[in-house]
Amino acid sequence: MKTNTFLPSYKVLLVGLLAFIITSCDKTIQEPIIPAYSPSNVDANAGIWKTYVLTSPAEVDVPAPSATNSAEYQAELSSLKQISSALTPDQKQKVEYWGAGAVYRWNEIARELAARYNLPPAAGPDGKYPLPDAANPLADPKFPFANPPYTARAMAYLSVAQYDALVTAWHYKYKYNRMSPAQAESSIKAALPVSGIPTYPSEDAVVAAASFNVLKAMFPGEVPYLEAKMKEHQESRLWAGMNVQSDLAAGAVLGTAVAAKVMGRAKTDGMSSSNNQSMTAGMIENAKKLGVTEPWVSQESPARPPMLPTYGLVTPWNFDKATVAKLRPEAPPAVGSAEFNKALDELKSIQKNQTREQARIANFWSDGVGSYTPPGHWLRTAANAAHDARYSEVRMARTLALVSTALMDAGICCWDVKFWWYYPRPQQYGLKTTVGTPNFPSYTSGHSTFSAAAAEVLGHIFPAQAKKFADMALEASNSRMYGLIHYRFDCEAGLKCGKNIGSYAVTRAKADGADQ
Amino acid sequence: MKVKTLYMLTLALLLMAAGAQAQMPHDVIYMPKNTSCLALTYGHSSWDEYWENTLKRENLNIGTHTTQMAMAMAAVGITDRLNVIASVPYIWTQTSAGNLMGLKGFQDASAWIKYKAFDKKGLSLHGVVGGSIPLTNYVPEFLPMSIGLQARTATGRIIANYSHSPTGLYLTGHGSYSWRSNIYVDRDSYLAGDRMHNTDEVQIPNAIDLGARVGILKSKWQTEVFVERFACVDGDNIRRNDMPFPTNKMEMTTVGWYGKVQPRNIGVNARVGYVVEGLNVGQSLSYSVGFLYQFNY
Repeated sequence: MKTNTFLPSYKVLLVGLLAFIITSCDKTIQEPIIPAYSPSNVDANAGIWKTYVLTSPAEVDVPAPSATNSAEYQAELSSLKQISSALTPDQKQKVEYWGAGAVYRWNEIARELAARYNLPPAAGPDGKYPLPDAANPLADPKFPFANPPYTARAMAYLSVAQYDALVTAWHYKYKYNRMSPAQAESSIKAALPVSGIPTYPSEDAVVAAASFNVLKAMFPGEVPYLEAKMKEHQESRLWAGMNVQSDLAAGAVLGTAVAAKVMGRAKTDGMSSSNNQSMTAGMIENAKKLGVTEPWVSQESPARPPMLPTYGLVTPWNFDKATVAKLRPEAPPAVGSAEFNKALDELKSIQKNQTREQARIANFWSDGVGSYTPPGHWLRTAANAAHDARYSEVRMARTLALVSTALMDAGICCWDVKFWWYYPRPQQYGLKTTVGTPNFPSYTSGHSTFSAAAAEVLGHIFPAQAKKFADMALEASNSRMYGLIHYRFDCEAGLKCGKNIGSYAVTRAKADGADQ
Repeated sequence: MKVKTLYMLTLALLLMAAGAQAQMPHDVIYMPKNTSCLALTYGHSSWDEYWENTLKRENLNIGTHTTQMAMAMAAVGITDRLNVIASVPYIWTQTSAGNLMGLKGFQDASAWIKYKAFDKKGLSLHGVVGGSIPLTNYVPEFLPMSIGLQARTATGRIIANYSHSPTGLYLTGHGSYSWRSNIYVDRDSYLAGDRMHNTDEVQIPNAIDLGARVGILKSKWQTEVFVERFACVDGDNIRRNDMPFPTNKMEMTTVGWYGKVQPRNIGVNARVGYVVEGLNVGQSLSYSVGFLYQFNY
């Protein structure tokens, strides 16, 4: 009997069907895999790039490493050979995870923490909202409430500490020029791409220690979690055969020392008095004097004090405090004026006929409660762009420092404007929302300000993608109209201010030595 | 801030309401061959307290949350022991306080095949398979205002029944397992289980539902009381003062009454349910009324 060999047997079909059913039922979510890479440019001169808080890399001393022919170093190499020769699947997975990039991963960890802590306190039985307590961070309400201004600041200090520490690290790397373990000892097989960047001190240990020391202050309830992450990060470099112990130890000391200096600035930047509710009465008076006849009132029940009314007084990064007032936009339309009514009518019309595409845009950019906020959204975008460009750790850190300081500056300026005009939300005129109403004045739009500032910086760093980033910023801005919580003039003024604010970071970028 | 009651409510309504010969995916009544039943049902469900994780709370920015539904449902007697049931609901939501915008639209079409596998001396066993599929591209991530979760579902159910024919007294129990597909949301990152997921794909927990009912079924009328349990098999809890999300582990126990009068081809039915206990859902009181019409051909 002749069988038709072109057709699979019923057993094959059955197995195929079974496999199909099983894979269809597999609900595992595939998240993007972030691969390791060898940087497109080692940025050998990064040791002279302009730092933010440090005056020069010499501020932190890193002692010379032991010579490569010393018994001490040879012992480190043979220990490393042993550690990295047989990895468990779990160790391999961790090597790959951290291999995506030290700055990349710690930025992602910080964004996750921001999302986890982005919860407004619930009102107590007395109708009052308890304040999060830094001394008791895990009580209800948890400290911090990582709202957009808080998150912008946390991310800025994180990125600045990473950047200043890495510039310092690069200075010593190229001063001491210790080659990588795999280059020093051919029997060591590195599990990640070896770049030729000197490995003493380890950039991974620098970033881990700098990040840990910033984040433990920003998220004091997460110290054990952050310690475990730091330890895992350091160990992953041994498992990967990328660093010897002395590379890591020197990096940890350096990262810790730089973070301490950066956090010194944080202690005096005015954040501790950014929630000065006693000033709101004067702010309302000021807005009335400026012609805002119906100032903002909280739309929550019970009425919630506005979010960080004096955040506008926090010290910016890329310009001085006096400039904040100079960056204020023109006056918003008078409530009830033709221009105001036109903007309100536009929202009413969206409320009546919100399209699915408008809802999609509103949801995509909502970045509200429980999210990493607009600053987190833009830092994710920035980190991915820098990763795609195969940036070195120090250039990745520079990118995120430029973007995150611009984002914090945007937050400061926008909050200054919001509490200068104390302008009413559309919800005070009967509008609903599909994204939730933020608990602070309307003019100008925070999303628009944040987004335009970030897009301006990213457009400078990645000129070929400048239009894409500007389009994203415009969409983020529009999303707040589609979500019914901002008038068009809030958004347009926010975009304009944001672009101006971002241009200060661009000016810095042009002169920080990285593009020479 | 709200709860996912919507979906639960809808599910409950889908499972409970409608059917002329009382024909529902969880009962043991069959349309005879060459007959069909069309049911048009209005449902109303509301709550002003919900379980945020295990914390029972009110929310002054929601007040009372209400979900309403209009549904068309058809049951067709393929044979005396094999029926096909299908339904299409239209749903709209609103709150009495706060400024969350209500949403509305056609939700998920569902279809069921019910088969009587065994029937002897009043004891019967039935197998039901069913599935549902979203009819429109409604937003699933704006809970509790969303009208559904966007998941495709496939459900297997076993029903056991004892009927005492002289009196019409019956006792029914059912158990189901629902596989629910992952969904795609508009945002490209979200927190679930305290972990950030950098994707727009969201895992919707599978669910079981159990029910026990006791009642009297006569040729022209029916009355019963029931208790039902719906529970996701996994998922996360609503965090303190957070919004609900489709990944939440929702659970609810509902007690209620169902009745039907159908003297001829035309009939009416009604159902009342109250959630006595739950997790990540609203404590809803729901009712529905249906108009029934039986076709013979």
